[in-house]
Amino acid sequence: MDTFLQQLVNGLTIGSMFALIALGYTMVYGVMKLINFAHGDLVAGSAFVGLFVFSQLLGGEVSLPVVIGVFLLTIVAISLLGFTVERLAYRPLRTAPRLSAVVSALGASMVIQNGIMLLWGPQMQIFPELIPSVIWEVGGVVISLMQVLIMALSTLLMVGLYFFVEKTKIGTAIRASAIDQDAARLMGINVNNIIVTIFLIGSSLGAVGGLFIGLYYRGITFNMGWQYGLYAFVAAIIGGIGNIPGAMLGGLLLGLFKAFIAGYVSSTWADAFTFILLIVILIVRPTGILGERVAEKV
Amino acid sequence: MLKSKALLLSLAATVMVASPVLASDTLKVGVQAPITGSYANEGQGIDQSVRLLADQINAKGGVLGKKIEVVTCDDEGTAMKAAICAKDLVNKKVSMVIGSYTSTCAEAAQATYYRAGVLQTSDGTSDTLTEHGYWTFFRNSFPNSAEAEFAANYMVKEKAYKNIAILSDFSSYADGLATAVQDAVKKLGGNVVAREKIKAGSQNFTPVLTQMKSKKPDVIFFAGYYSDGGLIRSQQVALGIKADFIGGDANDNVDFVKLAGNAATGAYIINVPTPELLPYDLAKDFLKAYKAKYNMMPPSIWTILNVDGMRAFIHGIEATKSFDTKKVAEYLHTLKDYPGITGPISFAADGNRVGSGYMTYEIQKDGSYKIVFK
Repeated sequence: MDTFLQQLVNGLTIGSMFALIALGYTMVYGVMKLINFAHGDLVAGSAFVGLFVFSQLLGGEVSLPVVIGVFLLTIVAISLLGFTVERLAYRPLRTAPRLSAVVSALGASMVIQNGIMLLWGPQMQIFPELIPSVIWEVGGVVISLMQVLIMALSTLLMVGLYFFVEKTKIGTAIRASAIDQDAARLMGINVNNIIVTIFLIGSSLGAVGGLFIGLYYRGITFNMGWQYGLYAFVAAIIGGIGNIPGAMLGGLLLGLFKAFIAGYVSSTWADAFTFILLIVILIVRPTGILGERVAEKV
Repeated sequence: MLKSKALLLSLAATVMVASPVLASDTLKVGVQAPITGSYANEGQGIDQSVRLLADQINAKGGVLGKKIEVVTCDDEGTAMKAAICAKDLVNKKVSMVIGSYTSTCAEAAQATYYRAGVLQTSDGTSDTLTEHGYWTFFRNSFPNSAEAEFAANYMVKEKAYKNIAILSDFSSYADGLATAVQDAVKKLGGNVVAREKIKAGSQNFTPVLTQMKSKKPDVIFFAGYYSDGGLIRSQQVALGIKADFIGGDANDNVDFVKLAGNAATGAYIINVPTPELLPYDLAKDFLKAYKAKYNMMPPSIWTILNVDGMRAFIHGIEATKSFDTKKVAEYLHTLKDYPGITGPISFAADGNRVGSGYMTYEIQKDGSYKIVFK
């Protein structure tokens, strides 16, 4: 039972990270019907920017204001990077065939990945310990301050995003653009501005995810964006791509699934089972768990 | 007419430029190492130290009058790329290859070098490396079996751990070492409660550690590389598993301490002496030259072991007064106590380096090593 609860905590922690990153994929897909392959690399970039901000800009001493500063500055930097990617790689292709945009997304991914390698080198970098390693033991289950922070902050951000999209005017505009861009335009919505908004939000959430990866796993490499991007992408599909609560649910489910497979079956097979799960879900429910079946527009 | 003449002339010029520099001008030394990827700092260390040694030898007039030319190929720490590197280096007509850092990569390239008659030296400790009977291969470190006996003795006899958990990745080095340790522990009457495998580079080891925790181990022995070992140690402490941690030789790297952070304190590492602890004058001189040229210390002992492999090869060429790799190899197979940076170098007939000097280190609060058992 202890082991089960412990795996539950582990799974929820990595699941929250997947969910944060998955939101970036799903929001962009929802409005633009485009898989933003560069998103995973923005996440990786965030960990490196965080490292740079901490050690070069803020002096490398751990304190609460510094940690908050690292988060805020990194979020700003990565959302600007996301904005730039949208401007340079996607906007010129707005009316082009969808395949061109996908190729452009792959290109953007490579540019960012190699950019990180040129700036920080190919070797593994060590992310600083910004959060003190405090652990609590509750009935045989060990939970660390870091895990609590990751889960709490992720939940907060996701709930915030949900209300933003459901209750505000901009959120309504985002949902309208997702349903039908032309109709949204006729209603006086500036779809380009909406796209910029979702890129800023998605990149910011990805930036937080990237910082969590750095904090939790410590070792960061220039090409790790591909791995985490892939998991988050799978999470988004499991939940139903284009659906915001779906991405959250998909992320948490994927995290739990991976933890339990690794714990009870074999950690080596965790990846294989993850993709088997993906295939099964695509066969049984092609639109994902929360995805709605939309009639193909002809 | 004029046109065809010009064509002929330009053709001739092309042929002259394109014809290869005569092979006998330089002695080509290949470096096959992970310059990028997870083990990048080890690969760069090997490349840098080979280049340093080449410079030192060239400054003294080269080898039998030939200057050394270093050709590097990045195997990224993957077997697939290692095989490509082997072909590439053979095509570039190297006569010896230093590397690679991992046993997997050394093994993937071995057969190609053997067929081309190219000498190869690697720090790979997997026992299988010397089991193929390739006369071209020389191990410049000591094999897993020696380390396994030392580790088992330390855990069962010295520390008297009741429950021993063994963890490794899937590489030929790590899996081989873990299996050898498991066998050696059993032979000494120790109790192995868990034997788990992880995927190198997967970063999240909490599920497998949680599973181990339920078996209540007194010690976790990790056979694998520092890039995983540091994270495993830090996640072990974060999960509140109060077992000791002993890392096998490949955990010996400056990055282990950085990755594990505060959790590094109190972890044990088993390896041959670190570069700083080498008592030989040759070692002190080489480290000084390394520091002067690159403004850092070598990342680990593996760098230096590879340098010794290359020094033995050069010595073989000079002693036999021949660039014939077959003759050099014959000489090296009987080499005895050639003074090396890492101690006397002797090779057995199967290409294994003879002797071993394992120690257990405890990592101190400041990240330095303290010898606790030898």
